[in-house]
Amino acid sequence: MVKPGEKVKIKVKVNGVQYEGEVPPRKLLVHFLRDDLGLTGTKVGCDTTTCGACTVILNGKSVKSCTLLAVQADGGEILTIEGLGNGKLHRIQEAFSNNFALQCGFCTPGMIMQTYYLLKEKGSEISEEEIRDGLHGNICRCTGYQNIIKAVEEASKVRS
Amino acid sequence: MNYVGKPVKRLNDSKFITGKSVYIDDLQISSLNAAFVRSPYAHARVKSVDASDALKTKGIVAVFTAKDLNPMTSDGPGPWVTYINQAEWKFVPRKPLTEEARYVGDPVAIVIGIDKYSVRDAVDKVNVDYEELPSAIALEDALKGEALVHKELGTNVGYKKDFSAGNVESAFKSADKVIPVEASNTRLIPSPMEPRGIVSRWEGGSLTVWYSTQIPHFAREEFSKDFGIPSSRIRVIMPDVGGAFGSKAHFVAEDLAVVASSIKLGRTVRWTATRSEELISSNARHNTFKGEVAVKRDGTILGIRGDLTVDLGAYLTYTEGLQPAIIPLMIPGPYKIRDILVRSTAVYTNTPPITMYRGASRPEATFIIERIMSTVADELHMDDLELREKNMVRADEMPYKNPFGLVYDSGDYLSFLREAKEKLKYHETLTWAEAERTKGKRIGVGTAFYLEISGFGPWEYGEIRVDERGDVTVVTGGTPHGQGTDTAIAQVVADELQIDIGRINVVWGDTQVVASGMGSYGSRTISIAGSAAKSASRQVLEKMKYVAAKMLNADVEEVEYSSCEFKYKKEGKSVKWDEVAKAAYSGKDPGLYASVTLEGDVTYPYGLHMAIVEIDDTGIVRVKEYRAYDDIGRVINPALAEAQIHGGAMQGVGQALYEEARINDEGQLAVSYAEYFVPTIMESPHYTSYFTDRPFPSNYATGTKGVGEAALIVGPAAIVRAIENATGKRFNKTPVTPEEVYKSLIK
Amino acid sequence: MYPPEFGYFKPQSLEEALDFLEKEDARPLAGGQSLIPMLKLRIISTGYLVDLNPLSSLSFVKDEGSQVRVGALTRHAEITSNTMIKTEVPLLYEASRQVGDVQVRNVGTIGGSVSNADPAADYPSVLTALDAKIVTTSKGGSREINALNFFKGPFTTSLNEGELVKEIVFPKLNGYKTSYVKVVRRAGDYAMVSIAVALRLKEGKVEDVRLSYSGVSDTPYRAKEAEKVLMERELNEENIKKAAEVAASGANPPSDVRGSSWYRKEVMKVITVKTLGDMK
Repeated sequence: MVKPGEKVKIKVKVNGVQYEGEVPPRKLLVHFLRDDLGLTGTKVGCDTTTCGACTVILNGKSVKSCTLLAVQADGGEILTIEGLGNGKLHRIQEAFSNNFALQCGFCTPGMIMQTYYLLKEKGSEISEEEIRDGLHGNICRCTGYQNIIKAVEEASKVRS
Repeated sequence: MNYVGKPVKRLNDSKFITGKSVYIDDLQISSLNAAFVRSPYAHARVKSVDASDALKTKGIVAVFTAKDLNPMTSDGPGPWVTYINQAEWKFVPRKPLTEEARYVGDPVAIVIGIDKYSVRDAVDKVNVDYEELPSAIALEDALKGEALVHKELGTNVGYKKDFSAGNVESAFKSADKVIPVEASNTRLIPSPMEPRGIVSRWEGGSLTVWYSTQIPHFAREEFSKDFGIPSSRIRVIMPDVGGAFGSKAHFVAEDLAVVASSIKLGRTVRWTATRSEELISSNARHNTFKGEVAVKRDGTILGIRGDLTVDLGAYLTYTEGLQPAIIPLMIPGPYKIRDILVRSTAVYTNTPPITMYRGASRPEATFIIERIMSTVADELHMDDLELREKNMVRADEMPYKNPFGLVYDSGDYLSFLREAKEKLKYHETLTWAEAERTKGKRIGVGTAFYLEISGFGPWEYGEIRVDERGDVTVVTGGTPHGQGTDTAIAQVVADELQIDIGRINVVWGDTQVVASGMGSYGSRTISIAGSAAKSASRQVLEKMKYVAAKMLNADVEEVEYSSCEFKYKKEGKSVKWDEVAKAAYSGKDPGLYASVTLEGDVTYPYGLHMAIVEIDDTGIVRVKEYRAYDDIGRVINPALAEAQIHGGAMQGVGQALYEEARINDEGQLAVSYAEYFVPTIMESPHYTSYFTDRPFPSNYATGTKGVGEAALIVGPAAIVRAIENATGKRFNKTPVTPEEVYKSLIK
Repeated sequence: MYPPEFGYFKPQSLEEALDFLEKEDARPLAGGQSLIPMLKLRIISTGYLVDLNPLSSLSFVKDEGSQVRVGALTRHAEITSNTMIKTEVPLLYEASRQVGDVQVRNVGTIGGSVSNADPAADYPSVLTALDAKIVTTSKGGSREINALNFFKGPFTTSLNEGELVKEIVFPKLNGYKTSYVKVVRRAGDYAMVSIAVALRLKEGKVEDVRLSYSGVSDTPYRAKEAEKVLMERELNEENIKKAAEVAASGANPPSDVRGSSWYRKEVMKVITVKTLGDMK
């Protein structure tokens, strides 16, 4: 039990690196990633589970890290935008750039992480309808989405 | 090397796709955090503030009120005097904190502490005693003037001006028919994905401000004016900016409170707006037009008269003064209508302040004139575009001076419209939709034409630096924040210098690096900032020719340059670009720099856009397709230009169907995206965007006219028209809600 | 947005969780997809969160012949991807894939959603349409509550202090057609109106029908009067229309940014007619 005002020790593996930290229970996972680990690629857009800018992969599932407590990730494995592609550009990242699928770039990390999850789940046979259904939890205010759809289609076809 | 006109990939994508982008909240700077105590009342006097409990909260450093901070400022943000005639306005400059709250959310106190969580806790512990005052929320109530938003002004009317041209009386007397018209836009929220934020550091009499802004140099000037600090001791740095759409060319009270607190404490203070805070820090649109049109039976429009009423919200922001002054001027649009009277009134209400939003004043004007054209077409049983053709300014009248004195620089609207009809398959699509409707589907097709004004001088800064290795840095006064104009500027410069684009780096957004600058807004960046960079490139090239001439023992006139080679033909000798660059830094007067402050004027892009909608049995409208045909002058990068059409059209869909900031006595109902419907990928139509093969270039060296705002300027009018086509009913406002559409289906 | 301070308890067993919930000012945390935003908006606060996520015994889907048991901690995505649920409780499957968005479905749980009792959420209308049973557990023992008696008001249920939803029991409806239709202003939003229908026809006549709605009342709205209109009658246009009218007249929808009360009733009628019409 952790009393209000006390901190709790957590261990998480982020992008293959094991971290230990002490957090108050109320600290959100996104703030742990950004403020404690300095992984600022994951953004806070809407605060209320709508926009998806904070999407990361937790234990293999895409989640909105603004709506999870850091303590809930204890013992888990996280992949953030910084960990994608092992130092090279991942095919999804390349496809976003090739297709002008970003403008201001703020939604981009979340959009790319959700695409990563979607393609992992659906493979290369993904339809436009499935892309739309899979990405509607990620809001982009700049692109109008069509170039994002093109990018996801391209990424789905490229073998990694 | 020929980059202009090609879909060159964005040069600076890497950091955005790898998570290395640095927006204001990503800056790793040791700082205190700020949060705000906000008024729960639309209008209330602050009787007292008790911060004693808040100050006991763990990690809290200070709580300041208006009494603490306001005396530190000698002035506050008012209208943007570069574009707005301050003398025409009644306003009260904004202060860091308020002693009389004028909208729900107006900041009353700032809490400063070591982390974002504890300052939020402390906000709840600040006890404010309010005396509630009568409020005016709705425009109509504010116009009655019973409750005054700013008592000291003696009125809620901030601006009132008649825009009169020709002879309206006689136009209406000679009319075959007078048709009433109405067009209004309810309140929107620009809502960039990155909420605004600021980090302020005060040290040794110098102020450094990292700021999510479109206009860093204006910000420097504003802080200098407000705090009495020499602008030479102020540095404003614009990090990556996660969208703005006009809403970040605007100083909020919170910005001033953060700067003031950092000075008072001698510490670095930061504030990143939560989404709830962002949703009330800039609202947009909110205007009504009621009037009538005088027409001849053949479709000739003789005159327009009416009342334009614009909501200002509780304070005059930096940018909202543009709307009531520019909307009337743009109402004639591409049409030869000479007799017009628009009575423009702007009104304060106890609601969140209004700012400019993508297109600012052209979307409003376009919605009004295109509603007028569509309504007249209906009343006279004419084809939409036939009516427009009839009234369009002809090519031989260009440059055309509109009745309010705006000079449309170039274009051939009529030929363009004919091309556009072909390209967008106007007639086929209308016929197809009609056939679909006979099969029971509720399909509608709508088109709207726009003529917009962009470029917006008065000047812009461009600088080229060729370093000793021959690599090129472009310093621009433009402030790209997603549009990709950094890439487009590099394309222009690469062609001018005939070098590989990979050797060019474009920098911007730091007042200590960029000598001067206006910023990015009003679809101006490629035209004015691009042309300034182009002009500076020429000057640097001249300097290089001079250096090359010395190296070749030639007269400078004898040196020709092409493709990285300076040639002295007579002697058959040449020197390479890199050699010249190196030599330039070993001489007596080293340095290959040139800077240009380029003056520029407005320019007028235009286009025809089409929306195809489908409506279900519940009245829910989906925009299935969106087609655009535009003359934006020369196109530097078609992929970037197209992307602007897509994004603008999506916001047009939002304005036309989904987005609405409702307000009642308790404040704005949208406190999160659960109540404000920014469209998702499910609501996104398929877009097709074409640019004419025969554009009319602007007078700018780049030949460009601008494309950043086009689709949001015209999109709502096209979409609303498509709904009318599907339902056979009239709609005069945005958004058109499912409920209104449903009513039209059953009646 | 930043939640207020609270303590945290991670139980090793359900018993531990119940002990703690009984003793302390505490709220259970399941998926948290509604709870955490409400904390962040500071609409609610609590002394402790009891994290139920480690309790794997609450996460299961069991086929028991005539019924299906779904553990409270089962994620929406797990329901969507469960092929047995897809064939045996298709209404639940249809609703589960329309909850929020992919990320929300990866985390949010059925027990959490049901306990939260948002009148515009997807499951409550499904549960009431199917006459599902909600099995609760507390220090005082276990209860089985019919879904119709479970939802008491907006965000209010018949759960007592210290009592948790443990599982939900769905009867298999053999020979029924089912449909879940949701009308939203924007993808991912809560329902403006949604309808859950289960229908069994015999020789063209309605042998059994259940109509339940979200978004139109303080609680999920099971339109029993409308069902009566259809029972034992032919499923024709006239009867469907009449049922839709009766259903709408018994609803009391709110007016908010999604639509007015009047409009929601109209939407109810439209989707009732459409949904039942498609089931003919």
